[in-house]
Amino acid sequence: MAPPPLVLLIEDEPQMRRFLCATLRAHDYQVVESASAREGLAQVAGRNPEVILLDLGLPDRDGLEVAREIRRSSRTPIIVLSARGQEHDKVSALDLGADDYLTKPFGVSELLARVRVALRHSALPPGASPEPVFKAGALRVDLVRRQVFRGDEEAHLTPTEYKLLAALIRHAGRVVTHRQLLQEVWGPNYADQSHYLRVYMAQLRHKLEEDPTRPRLLITEPGVGYRFRDGEV
Amino acid sequence: MKPFRWIRRLGANEYVTAVGIIAVTTSVGLVLRAHLKITDIAMLFLLAVVIVGYRSRRGPSLVASLLSIAAFDFGFVPPYYTFDVHDKAYFLTFGVMFAVALVMAQLTARIREQIEDAREREHRTAALLALTRELAGAEGLDAQVSIAVRHIGLTGGGKASVLLDHLRGDGQASRWPEDGLFDSVAVRVAATWACDHGESAGWGTNHCAEAEALLVPLQSSGRSIGVVSLEPESPDRVLSLTERRTVEALVAQAAATFERTILAQGREQARLEVESERLRTALLSSLSHDLRTPLSSIEGAASSLLQDSGALSDEVQQEMAEAILQESRRMTRLVNNLLDMVRVETGDLAVQKEWQPLEEALGVALLRLEERLATHRVETRLPRDLPMVPIDELLIEQVFINLLENAAKYTPKGTTIRVSAWQGGDAVVVEVADAGPGIPTGDEEAIFRKFHRTSHVDQAGPAGGSGLGLTICRGIVAAHGGRIWLERHEGAGAAFRFTLPLQGPPLGAPPADAAA
Repeated sequence: MAPPPLVLLIEDEPQMRRFLCATLRAHDYQVVESASAREGLAQVAGRNPEVILLDLGLPDRDGLEVAREIRRSSRTPIIVLSARGQEHDKVSALDLGADDYLTKPFGVSELLARVRVALRHSALPPGASPEPVFKAGALRVDLVRRQVFRGDEEAHLTPTEYKLLAALIRHAGRVVTHRQLLQEVWGPNYADQSHYLRVYMAQLRHKLEEDPTRPRLLITEPGVGYRFRDGEV
Repeated sequence: MKPFRWIRRLGANEYVTAVGIIAVTTSVGLVLRAHLKITDIAMLFLLAVVIVGYRSRRGPSLVASLLSIAAFDFGFVPPYYTFDVHDKAYFLTFGVMFAVALVMAQLTARIREQIEDAREREHRTAALLALTRELAGAEGLDAQVSIAVRHIGLTGGGKASVLLDHLRGDGQASRWPEDGLFDSVAVRVAATWACDHGESAGWGTNHCAEAEALLVPLQSSGRSIGVVSLEPESPDRVLSLTERRTVEALVAQAAATFERTILAQGREQARLEVESERLRTALLSSLSHDLRTPLSSIEGAASSLLQDSGALSDEVQQEMAEAILQESRRMTRLVNNLLDMVRVETGDLAVQKEWQPLEEALGVALLRLEERLATHRVETRLPRDLPMVPIDELLIEQVFINLLENAAKYTPKGTTIRVSAWQGGDAVVVEVADAGPGIPTGDEEAIFRKFHRTSHVDQAGPAGGSGLGLTICRGIVAAHGGRIWLERHEGAGAAFRFTLPLQGPPLGAPPADAAA
């Protein structure tokens, strides 16, 4: 049996660390703690963790700086921990290369789901082609034939709608920022035209969701981006 | 025209008329000399002097009387065509003619002055009335200042401006507006002098007359609250005393109005300070209660889990853990509300509007409230062709959350909450309606006030609101340029409506997308 995955926790609040460590250990993860950015960065290099939980409000260094520093040398998934109202920082961290975020206060199930998704994505070798057929609930997407089915019925998507759906599926379970989606679907010149994205997202929901005002798959992360919920999250 | 100005200023026309009248009288007298007695001729000249005296000022009537004496002497007193006088009695006639002329001149001058006075008073009263009438309808100091500037400028025939001491900040004459006129040292000196002495100075006065403008102090309650400047339209315009008095009257009227407004502003400021102090106290007491309640539940549950875990059944332990979770969530909501309130209050609500479908913000709110709305049926009616709205999604989502939470909290389980939206003119109207007991009449406005809870608050039980939700909604909607109100309060339940104006930066159309 493979050794349990190692999680690096960079968080200055002792009570928060206590809760996170206890929870993660109870779910069979190994945890390394650090209370400061300096210590955390040293452990990224020394312990080679599989997932990093990074608090954005560290006393010794700006969390965004730390994320950038980690990305310079490592592809380890980073999950950012931040407070409500820091949407701007979250977006910056994600655009800098962080993989996901959790808004404090958060529950255990949310935490575990994010960690699992991060591990799953990092387990895929870079450039590996995903499963040819993607399934989530009643939705089935044939990524080779570019066909989308709801139950037994084929949903007819425009090329842009399909590209958007495919981009979300590539990151299934993880949040994708507006900017990232716009770049992937429309190209770098459209990174600021978020209303395109919202228009197509609405269309996709009307074609794929049972009730577009209560989406089950295409989830809005307000102020940040979208997340394709694939059962895990 | 310029070379003739001095002639007109002397009233040259009146002299010409006076000479003319005497000339005509002399001619008539010469024609009738053979048929009339010399005393009748004297009467004719007397009449001419009276006529001139009636029509003209002192100067022309004196000239007329001297001329008529000379003409009478020369043409009618024997020997004719000399100024010799044989009969000394004629000197009495000359004396009477001169005296009559003098008295007439005096009388007409007085009448003329009275007429001019009356005319000036009338003019001044009309100008004052116009100013007063317009000032009465103006709200706020800025509007009043601009009205006063316009009226004084029109009446004084120039460009007026108002400089209020309290607007200068420190009340020191060292800070002058960056406005061409006050760059002039003479104007500054005149303005300072006018304020210090409570009298006009500068152009058209005896003090600092070299200044390019007339400066009239805004005197109220015996002190100067500022100064009004009046710059002539052209450098050679002359300001008459009458005009200056009218301008001064207008300035006095404006000063009284300004002072009232400034005082009222001060009172309003003081009232707001008292109000905000009262609110702070209310906030503190509300806070300590609302935070302490969940805290005591959490502390109680957690300590008994720690100490008595052996004695508690699994079921009870589970219940306690759930209580801790529920109460922590309640505290989180409260703290979030408080933070939002502070942002709304301090105007720190950085609204980042982006065009987006309303459906999305509503969707997020519904997802977030999934658990709390499980007790109710929620219907959404958003037409497919509803235009995108320029909103800050995080803030509008908060409005939905607060309205939906309230609806769920204050209405019986199993009832329906309906969210609908439609386009109304250049705004999208959103309605959140419930089927609960409604809101008591008379509370339509009060519910939007801070810490207000309706008498239905009991329905919500211990999980009652903070009394901030609707205040936050109002702040957020207002920051979007919209309005929120209670559309229906009783009968079929409460219905809140808010508008989101469709104004914002224009949208580029997305690149063409071929149909699949």
